Amino acid sequence: MSTIAAMRHVRGFDVARPLSIGTLVFLMLPLVFLPLASIFIFGTSNGLDKFWSALMQPEAIFALKLSMATSFWATVFNVIFGLFAAYVLSRYNFWGRNALIVTISLPTAIPTAVAGFALLLLWGPYGTLGRLFTPHGFQIMFTAGAIILANIFVTFPLAFGVIKPVFDTMSRSLEEASATIGATRWQTFWHVTLPSLRGAIVSGALLTFARAVGEFGSTILVSGNLAGRTQTAPLYIFAKFNEGQIEAANAIAIVLALFSFLIFSVLFFARDWLDVD
Amino acid sequence: MKAKETLIRKHEEPEPARPAAAASVVGISKRFGKASVLENISFDVAEGEVLVLLGASGSGKTTILRIIAGLEMPYTGKVILHGRDVTELPARERGVGVIFQSYALFPKMTVEKNIGYGLRIRKHKRKEIRETVNELLSLVQLEEHRKKYPSQLSGGQQQRVAIARTLAYKPEVLLFDEPFGALDTQTRVHLRREIRALLKKVNVPSIFITHDQEEALELGDRVAVLNVGHVEQIGTPFEIYNHPATEYVATFLGAANVLEATVRKDFLEVGSARIPVEQDKFREGDCVKIVFRPEDVALNRGDLPPSGHARLASGRIEEISFVGAYERLRLRLDVSGADECKADDTPYYLTTETPERPSTKSIIATRPKPEASTTRFQVGEKVTVALTSFTVLPPQKGTKGTN
Repeated sequence: MSTIAAMRHVRGFDVARPLSIGTLVFLMLPLVFLPLASIFIFGTSNGLDKFWSALMQPEAIFALKLSMATSFWATVFNVIFGLFAAYVLSRYNFWGRNALIVTISLPTAIPTAVAGFALLLLWGPYGTLGRLFTPHGFQIMFTAGAIILANIFVTFPLAFGVIKPVFDTMSRSLEEASATIGATRWQTFWHVTLPSLRGAIVSGALLTFARAVGEFGSTILVSGNLAGRTQTAPLYIFAKFNEGQIEAANAIAIVLALFSFLIFSVLFFARDWLDVD
Repeated sequence: MKAKETLIRKHEEPEPARPAAAASVVGISKRFGKASVLENISFDVAEGEVLVLLGASGSGKTTILRIIAGLEMPYTGKVILHGRDVTELPARERGVGVIFQSYALFPKMTVEKNIGYGLRIRKHKRKEIRETVNELLSLVQLEEHRKKYPSQLSGGQQQRVAIARTLAYKPEVLLFDEPFGALDTQTRVHLRREIRALLKKVNVPSIFITHDQEEALELGDRVAVLNVGHVEQIGTPFEIYNHPATEYVATFLGAANVLEATVRKDFLEVGSARIPVEQDKFREGDCVKIVFRPEDVALNRGDLPPSGHARLASGRIEEISFVGAYERLRLRLDVSGADECKADDTPYYLTTETPERPSTKSIIATRPKPEASTTRFQVGEKVTVALTSFTVLPPQKGTKGTN
């Protein structure tokens, strides 16, 4: 150690720098880089045609589409809800406000399997509410609707969590100025408040969507995992892996991985665009 | 209260008939919880007039502004704009223009869009909006910045955008909330001249709030001095500076000397000193206060006062300090003798807020540089103290704290 310290002084060369960066990369290698890389290496090792034909399986395409569609609607709901909740909770002070904030944030801490199970207990054929509806031919569990419900539940706090701080720091005088200029509440919200929230809304939506697309634990319980009917992309990977069809599973895994890279890059590189105009 | 009001009126010069009020505040009071922040506030602003609400922080001036704008509800009282009672109307239906301290420009809109906002939400025709925006841009001289966003402008430019944005929809009254608070001194002085000129051009009645007395005197056609939720005095800058109605006004607007005196037949008695005065406001034996500015003090060697001045007393110079443009002297008056009014329990707390309040018998005088260099005084020297002008105030009764 003392030699290292001495070297620093003699040459003005900071040995700690390459050493620590090297350690960091070395640690991340088996933990992050290699697993990700192996998806791509394995998936394309038999040639791109194999990859392509695995991807073009009707069930695979269906699974991807279902994931996109259910995640999309869960995102739409959660962004609108998050916007509304953030508005109410940052504009008004009332008894029980903190309790509501905690409750909204709670789903992050709940294991996804528990979330799926809870939904089953409520909406399942013998569930608390489900049994009231089942006799009338209404059954939401084991449908695409159930997947959306599960997605909404597990991604509930994400958009809210991004939007609320922006609301909190937004100067009230902007809205007051708009009011004195003659705008209605709605006009003020549309022309003044919403534009300031654009960045938060976009990143909240992307986060929610990315999280929903990957959801597995709750989906597998509430969807029924029926290939071609309620099987989402992550469920497809799991099913094909269990059947020993590694290539089929791998093709979808590559698509999902690329997709999350894409969302992440938007969040990362479009930061400036999202925040300032 | 009554006595004070009549006194205020006495001080006002016979004023020319002012045009009908463009905006009036009538008997406004406001409470937050149990704390009363405004008590019975009333004033008018005439068409094209600039009224400045001057007060220290906590005097309630911002609350008055917010009540006029409709951002706050008064507890009692009315707000009247051009004869229309708007007390119950929400902010958006009042048609007032507020220039916030932070300007509150919409960050995601360009300068043009900001200025056109009021017309856009009123669904005016595009062509009309464009024309108005162009006019206003040239009025505030920001044509070349029309496509910029607020964050790309300087503080002064942002402020001009904020003014143009309110002028676009022809407001009934303009309200400025400490508009220069966020700027450095030089810009501030420059901007307030610019804004004063602009306001005279557009002729919209305006209310400014500020805690800066210099700003108030320079900007206002009239100034209302506020003190813990009530109006101490309203008048032209000349009136409130030269004829303050209360000790608070006198001391808040620059430095002032306050001496307690007893009213006699044709003079005022300060200890053993006598100031000849002709007056009919007070009865013999009344305890009053004499208020005069440091620059109203004239000093002379020897026993005689400079001609045309009222002799106050002789005094001894205790301290001389040089303060840039003038010289400041602290003097101890030689006014030994029975002082009837000393016993009068003028509550101390009323006057402790004023930074330079001298003890009863010691006063501050200032002399301009030319005079200071022709007649030099030494510390300890004995001089004759005379007054160019002074104001006589009744002891503080019926003001805050007692009603």
